Amino acid sequence: MVSTMQLTQQDEAMKETAAQKTASARRTHSIDISAIGSGSKNLRIENEEIAMCVNDLQLHYGEKRALHGINMQIPKKRVTAFIGPSGCGKSTLLRCFNRMNDLVDGCRIDGEVLIDDQNIYQRAVDVADLRRRVGMVFQKPNPFPKSIYENVAYGLRIQGINKKRVLDETVEWSLRSAALWDEVKDRLDDSALGLSGGQQQRLVIARTVAVKPEVLLLDEPASALDPLSTLKVEELIHELKDDYTIVIVTHNMQQAARVSDYTAFMYMGDLVEFGSTDDLFTNPQKTQTEDYITGRYG
Amino acid sequence: MDSSSKEFAGHISQQFNNELSELKNHLLVMGGLVEQQVVDAVQAFVSLDSGFAEEVRGRDVDVDKLEVLIDEECVQVIAKRQPAAKDLRLVVSVAKMVNDLERIGDEAKKIAKIAVAMAEEGESPRGYVEVRHIGEHVAKMVRDALDCFARLDVEPALEIMKEDKVVDDEYKSATRALITFMMEDPRSISRILNVMWVLRALERVGDHAQNIAEHVIYMVKGEDVRHVPLDQVQNVIQKKN
Repeated sequence: MVSTMQLTQQDEAMKETAAQKTASARRTHSIDISAIGSGSKNLRIENEEIAMCVNDLQLHYGEKRALHGINMQIPKKRVTAFIGPSGCGKSTLLRCFNRMNDLVDGCRIDGEVLIDDQNIYQRAVDVADLRRRVGMVFQKPNPFPKSIYENVAYGLRIQGINKKRVLDETVEWSLRSAALWDEVKDRLDDSALGLSGGQQQRLVIARTVAVKPEVLLLDEPASALDPLSTLKVEELIHELKDDYTIVIVTHNMQQAARVSDYTAFMYMGDLVEFGSTDDLFTNPQKTQTEDYITGRYG
Repeated sequence: MDSSSKEFAGHISQQFNNELSELKNHLLVMGGLVEQQVVDAVQAFVSLDSGFAEEVRGRDVDVDKLEVLIDEECVQVIAKRQPAAKDLRLVVSVAKMVNDLERIGDEAKKIAKIAVAMAEEGESPRGYVEVRHIGEHVAKMVRDALDCFARLDVEPALEIMKEDKVVDDEYKSATRALITFMMEDPRSISRILNVMWVLRALERVGDHAQNIAEHVIYMVKGEDVRHVPLDQVQNVIQKKN
């Protein structure tokens, strides 16, 4: 072992240079952690712009009450998911947003749905115009038996837009936003029915966005698709939310967790819990919600 | 860092890619901070600069914040994405490595605290060489472990596990030397004990660096190499994925 004396000398020598090193060490600390994290997280409904406001909405199918006074606010340019067991009223609620339930016999609606402070159930509202502003995509892809091009251009044509240049631009833009352009650009005149299920569903989404709606309603848009097409549609939803307010109904809780910013859990016609998806899936406030999302229900 | 981030890219969901690479980046930021904490704490101790030591102690708050943040991110990814296979191993490993990094941060804080106390009680007559030496050694281990993590490189991870044995030996012999000195000069015992605590803290830093290396091997190879003899770890590493 080295003698104590020698070591002590080393200690002394080191302490002399140490002071200089400290000075330089002080300058090296430059990590700023305040810039990290919580960017898109910690969503709070209070901080959101509101696209639609539902006030005490009640809905009866004949004698049966399907919605028991729903109050909620749908935030703008976010994805809101409705989850809940079959028959809980989530699709019914979604259809209220563009008055799809008007077509159902014996359906009675009380309460209001406000878009831009206007109740869409007022007499003066033009339903066709409402459905342009609030587009909808259904569970099963339902392309028209026309060409791919005409499917997307359809909404514009019935608005009286027939200029080829405008139509061409809109069709390309819509197909691009539905992440379908590259797959179909060389066969726009082929029948839409020749596309695969996943492609058809994205075509229907393209058709819906072609008329530039404010709100997109998706009623189980991926439940008839294979896992990869499902992920593509989910990725599409994620991209579309930069421009649209999206409301999605899904049976698949994991899907709701993946795609949505806010989640509403419904049960037997009641809105049980509504909150940011991050909170609802990690720390739900109601036991009913917790039981459902952890698979303990029924 | 980019080449290995690709390892966790390629999901159809771009958002998922982003979440995983953020997770990874945040852990590396926390690692960089913690490594700096160790280096600075040792520096403050050796130079008997209590002002600097206080500064180092204060920074531990940042480490703690990152710990909470990264844990939260892990929980979110698991809840929302149901990661599988290597994605799952990444998330689980990160959650554990965060723990080790936070503990390293605590050890650094402890050293800084002792440095402050020493400035009041008077300096130790001895032990600075050992502190400096072992301090540099374990700081390098932490840095290397983080490099392994960044590059998903398991070969150096094994080296780190071997290094920990060396640090343990260095710690033991330093302790013996200090005990000898205390026997020669009992008046210095309380001051030298401070040095012993610092050495002890540094030795623990080495252990945590080893843990991180083990988590990297688990993450890349899918096999848990904790409490496994080194030669078997070698076999795991050579195994083709």
